[in-house]
Amino acid sequence: MDNILNDEKPRVILGEYKVTQNLPSEPTVLDEKWDLKTFKKRFRVVIVRSEENELEFDLIGIHPFLANTFRRLMLSDVPTMAIEKVHILNNTSIIQDEVLAHRLGLIPLKADPRLFEMKTDPTAEGTEQDTLEFALKIKCTNNKDSSKDSLRAEDMYKNNNVYSKHIKWVPIGKQKERFSDVGPIHPDILIAKMRPGHELDLKLLAVKSNGRDHAKFSPVATAFYRLLPDIKLLREVEGEAAERLQKCFSPGVISIRHEKGRKYAVVANARYDTGSRNVFRYEDLKDAVAMTKIQDHFIFTVESVGALPPDVIFMEAVKILKDKCLALLDELSHV
Amino acid sequence: MDFDDPALLKKPIKEIEEKWKLVPAFLKVKGLVKQHIDSFNYFINVDIKKIVEANNKLVCDADPLFYVKYTNVYVGRPDVDEGFNISKPTTPHECRLRDMTYSAPISVDIEYTRGTQRVSKAGLMIGRMPIMLRSSNCVLTNKSEYELAKMNECPLDPGGYFVVKGQEKVILIQEQLSKNRMIVEESKFGVQCAVTSSTHEKKSRTNVVCKANKYYLGHNSLTDLVPVSIIFKALDVTSDKEICELIGVEDISKLTPTLEECHTLKIYTQLGALKHIGSKLVAKRYVTSASKMKTPVDEARDVLATTVLAHVPVENYNFRMKAIYLGVMVKRVIEAQSDKKFMDDKDYYGNKRLELAGSLLSLMFEDVFKRFNWELKSIAEKTIPKIRATQFDVVKYMRSDLITNCLVYAISTGNWTIKRFRMERLGVTQVLSRLSYISALGMMTRVNSQFEKTRKVSGPRSLQPSQWGMLCPSDTPEGEACGLVKNLALMTHITTDVDEYPLIRLANNAGVVDINMSSGMSIHSPETFFVFLNGNILGTIRNYKKLIHTFRMLRRSGLISGYVSIYPNFLHRCIYISSDGGRLCRPYIIVERGRPLVTQNHIIELEKGIRSFEDFLHDGLIEFLDVNEENDSFIACYEKDITDLTTHLEIATFTLLGVCAGLVPYPHHNQSPRNTYQCAMGKQAMGTIGYNQKNRMDTLLYSLVYPQAPMVKTKSIELTNFDKLPAGQNATIAVMSYSGYDIEDALIINKASIDRGFGRCLVYKNSKCVMKRYANQTFDRIQGPLIDTTTNAPMWKHAVLDMDGIVAPGESVDNKQVLVNKSVPTVSAVPGSQTTSVEYKDTPICYRNNEPSYIEKVLVSTNEEDTTIIKILLRQTRRPEIGDKFSSRHGQKGVVGLVVEQEDMPFNEYGICPDIIMNPHGYPSRMTVGKLIELLAGKAGLVEGKFHYGTAFGGSKVNDVCEELAKHGFNYQGKDFFYSGITGEPLEAYIYSGPVYYQKLKHMVQDKIHARGRGPRAVLTRQPTEGRSRDGGLRLGEMERDCLIGYGASMMLIERLMVSSDQCEVDVCNLCGRLGYCGWCNSCKSSREVSSITMPYACKLLLTELQAMNITARLTLNHYCE
Amino acid sequence: MSEPSTKDSGATKTPMVYICGECHNENEIRPRDPIRCRECGYRIMYKKRTKRLAVFDAR
Repeated sequence: MDNILNDEKPRVILGEYKVTQNLPSEPTVLDEKWDLKTFKKRFRVVIVRSEENELEFDLIGIHPFLANTFRRLMLSDVPTMAIEKVHILNNTSIIQDEVLAHRLGLIPLKADPRLFEMKTDPTAEGTEQDTLEFALKIKCTNNKDSSKDSLRAEDMYKNNNVYSKHIKWVPIGKQKERFSDVGPIHPDILIAKMRPGHELDLKLLAVKSNGRDHAKFSPVATAFYRLLPDIKLLREVEGEAAERLQKCFSPGVISIRHEKGRKYAVVANARYDTGSRNVFRYEDLKDAVAMTKIQDHFIFTVESVGALPPDVIFMEAVKILKDKCLALLDELSHV
Repeated sequence: MDFDDPALLKKPIKEIEEKWKLVPAFLKVKGLVKQHIDSFNYFINVDIKKIVEANNKLVCDADPLFYVKYTNVYVGRPDVDEGFNISKPTTPHECRLRDMTYSAPISVDIEYTRGTQRVSKAGLMIGRMPIMLRSSNCVLTNKSEYELAKMNECPLDPGGYFVVKGQEKVILIQEQLSKNRMIVEESKFGVQCAVTSSTHEKKSRTNVVCKANKYYLGHNSLTDLVPVSIIFKALDVTSDKEICELIGVEDISKLTPTLEECHTLKIYTQLGALKHIGSKLVAKRYVTSASKMKTPVDEARDVLATTVLAHVPVENYNFRMKAIYLGVMVKRVIEAQSDKKFMDDKDYYGNKRLELAGSLLSLMFEDVFKRFNWELKSIAEKTIPKIRATQFDVVKYMRSDLITNCLVYAISTGNWTIKRFRMERLGVTQVLSRLSYISALGMMTRVNSQFEKTRKVSGPRSLQPSQWGMLCPSDTPEGEACGLVKNLALMTHITTDVDEYPLIRLANNAGVVDINMSSGMSIHSPETFFVFLNGNILGTIRNYKKLIHTFRMLRRSGLISGYVSIYPNFLHRCIYISSDGGRLCRPYIIVERGRPLVTQNHIIELEKGIRSFEDFLHDGLIEFLDVNEENDSFIACYEKDITDLTTHLEIATFTLLGVCAGLVPYPHHNQSPRNTYQCAMGKQAMGTIGYNQKNRMDTLLYSLVYPQAPMVKTKSIELTNFDKLPAGQNATIAVMSYSGYDIEDALIINKASIDRGFGRCLVYKNSKCVMKRYANQTFDRIQGPLIDTTTNAPMWKHAVLDMDGIVAPGESVDNKQVLVNKSVPTVSAVPGSQTTSVEYKDTPICYRNNEPSYIEKVLVSTNEEDTTIIKILLRQTRRPEIGDKFSSRHGQKGVVGLVVEQEDMPFNEYGICPDIIMNPHGYPSRMTVGKLIELLAGKAGLVEGKFHYGTAFGGSKVNDVCEELAKHGFNYQGKDFFYSGITGEPLEAYIYSGPVYYQKLKHMVQDKIHARGRGPRAVLTRQPTEGRSRDGGLRLGEMERDCLIGYGASMMLIERLMVSSDQCEVDVCNLCGRLGYCGWCNSCKSSREVSSITMPYACKLLLTELQAMNITARLTLNHYCE
Repeated sequence: MSEPSTKDSGATKTPMVYICGECHNENEIRPRDPIRCRECGYRIMYKKRTKRLAVFDAR
């Protein structure tokens, strides 16, 4: 086993009961002193999948501390805008004021946070630089022109469901000229249910802050990474056992090769293995596979909430790290 | 199918699939609290009529012509008096909100004489009866969900409780020893046979004991034990031979000492015996004119006829039945003396009866009805002799408040005082706990035992095998009431009384020889069996098997009530037939010739809705067995267990648990105390309490903002509708250690989860205010807010008040702000004189809590006395914080130890980070394997998109669940590969993670947090006050004091116990040793030797208090250095 | 400081408006008036929501 795993890459080995480290004899990113030159030489970024709100990319040849820092920064340091104060002028619906405010706070907003400033004094009046104002004014009434025999709430009443699309942006100052499209990202988030006579009249104030302050400010649904799986077959597995082996991994990890009427398993693409380790269910297959993960190869997945594109979120995180480092250096120089 | 084919019999019986569907069918007809409702219905529809009929005539000594006769009685529909003799139907919810009693008028039809006229009147109200919700007279019965919603009532609310003065009150089920049954037990004299007789008129206890080889009868109306031989003679069994025959023991020598007693006392005749008994009667406390005339002999005869063994009928002083009954009692004692197996087990559940709301109320009603009549009679006796212009009309004196007040008082306080039985019980009713839906349900199935809680006995507390299927084996409180307070299982039914008469006829037709017809010799012959009906001897029978068979067939065919039980006791050689109320029973599938009568087709019909549970009963496929008959049956748990001898088949095994234990998934994998703990904790979990919770105004109501139905359900959860009114959330937990803040069951919580609404709860409290009217034409008033003249705005305390002086909904109130600006008139105002200036004193209703609240709503209404009531509902929203208590459904409670940022939480290959991290040390010692399986099943349900079942003795199999996980690319053991959120590196161990249902318990730090530097002191002792509500000090108790002494920190002791508490400077005179004052000793009239020392004020208080009692304590002072 | 505005006249002149718990009709009730809805005779009234602005943190 050792000789198969002994290449230049640092790995963790997924055993039946525990994870063990397996470091090659030469120094790797994990133990050598960090310096820019070697980092530049070794470091690679590969973008694998880029969708509107989801990005998958690989960071290769980087120490876990750095990769983790980016993950942490994306989760709780990249700021976004979210509703922070709710001025309730009227709420006769059954939902409680605080709960309503909490629900409104969690609605992701379409507004580029980079164009705003952090509000320094939370008690101060909001300015056009640091605050977005919205209004939600809605009243539920009986639907007069509905057919009498329908008992569905949608037919009987008007505005019986309050959705995020009912939130209207109220530009302050020159905001109207500066921004074009501001409002909730998703139009169909259910905020409250109402019945005739119920009424909401709210003024919503959104500010800029980060995820450490409150999860609603986090720009990502989640941002995480995983280590690149590497699966090696230690011996030939054939016939029924091969099919069984295939089922132990995610689809596409193991493929079955037909050769001279013989079926045997080969590793096709280990990248999307979920690390389920289900081979250990079979006594006869246990020793046939070596499951490892490469420790300096990080597969990042960033799922944006929608305020910022995922790639921007990552770039913002990098920027924040840079700013933090500069700030630290600055502090140190003043000691 | 040919059953007689032996080959067919051997064939294994196929499992009846989905046979558990009979349980929902059962609950559909019976409901979860049907026992209470059935019992109450029986009372208001049947029993009340019997009571009135038994006391229907009222005569008066003053006028022989005068009488009142009740011809009918009925309880109406609940209504509320609107004044001017108009009443309007009401709803329970209106009563709750307006602090009224949900009650209906009790009306009677009477016939009476007015002078010489005979008058009859119908529909006369004699009182009001509190109505049980969902009983036959309640407005909620048989209403659709829509109609219930219109009445502001939750369709899932079980009913079965009362609304008295706005409070929901439950009459708890009371457990008692059977009435009218012989119990052979150990007593201080040795073996005794005791019978507690209970009839409508009398309640008495008769014992037969053995003392010095003689048998005696003891009774509370007799001052001394009386030899049974004398009693027999008094019962007209004068010859010794006959006595021996009635007792029927082979070894007559055992009776000789007893018989000898008669001869030594020279008692040979009935008269002689009665004379002897007459001399031993307990003197009556009050002598009425009628009883004055009686001789001791007559009195003794009366006592024997009516009081001793009161339930055995005596007609025209024919004591035959009683003599036989006594004979059997003596025989039981003699048998038990020689063989311990004849002793009865008092804890055996067949010997227990449960008393429900109906029977308790009927006792109360009969008592108050008698008092009502007695009062009418005494009024009649007083008024009739007077010569008056109008004729005496008794109707005018029938006041309805006696009965109303008595019933309302009893239910609202729980003090059950029945004068004629000299019964006084406390705590019969309790306020329905509305902490969660389950706690309310759990309360309705609670069984309270009459045993003393303080007694350290194990017998009545331990789980009796006869409780199987009837009472929940898990649901009992810990601590002093352990095992005494029990809960009914899911399918338990409690019987109500069934008329005896048809049963007697039937028994006689089936070959039972009337006891009066048989001779003394034949009674105890070894071939015959006694037949008992509800504790009374009915007769004897030889072919008892036929009798039992006949009764059971008739019961199955529906010709006699399904709740009549019959079973033989071969030890006693008796057949017992029971039709009395309060027996526990439960339905079983009948098995005949090794085949269950319920087939797959029946179940399919049930599913289609063609068949109901009652049809199963009618068709004789299912029958109810009570505890005693259960013991004469051979019941199979599963189809595979059926043999040729099997008589019944269990419907569903999970029904042996109760409502609370039914919430636990996989309870059969847990250590049993854990299920018991969960039963206690499920009642403290926050969640939803009913669909009408937003309309309620409880004093305290907790509710969860985002409750969820559990991922892993049980059948019981669906049957009790817990999934519709859940109390908890599915949290993703990771079993691992994290930081050090998770020791001792503390939980680590993800801050982002809290931000997103996990564990967020609402706390509602209410403030109430009644506007009183006083006799002197003054009343409480409310004023608008006081305006600060400088700013022209209301002062801070009144900032939240409206113009009417009451807070407005939607406002936030802070500590010490006024909610209602009420003022009360001072008493000085003179009644009558309409002076304009009435002095008022401010008595504002203030908000007292350090955390602000919001006003949810303000209700203004009037109560029954037409006084204005104002109820204010206050609301707080709380997010979980460190110290809040959470629990899974496996008795694994823990407090939040640390709230961690999401980025610091570990995450897995899918980017999932847990909501809660739990320390693995919580598992080995608790052995809650059920929780591990819940996690696994929940996780599999998550990836598959379905709910898994963790039903007791069933549920999804671990293997299937693992297979499902593996199918979706998860580790089959539920252990995932995690990365540390702090270092970013993979964790060395695989982490067991997945969803587990977590309950937030009502204990929150915010309600408990308390600290004080300085603060108020008690007036008397000048020591710091006690308790959080009084901002009290933190006590340095005895044990802490011991630590300081042990450590030798004496100055610390002084500082804690005196300086920081009640230090006080006193002047002590060293001449007389007494306390002085201002440097002056008043007794020595000098200031020469007076010196000032410091001591605790409590010490000074003691000295002065002793002085007040004429005890002088003298102090001697010395210089410290001498 | 504040001066007690004895028997504040505002309350008696302008009656407060309460909402019936049954028919949601708005009723004007003066102090010591019987509490009963003019429309349906229901005897439970609720106070109207405050006109004042309430600010909540969306947390």
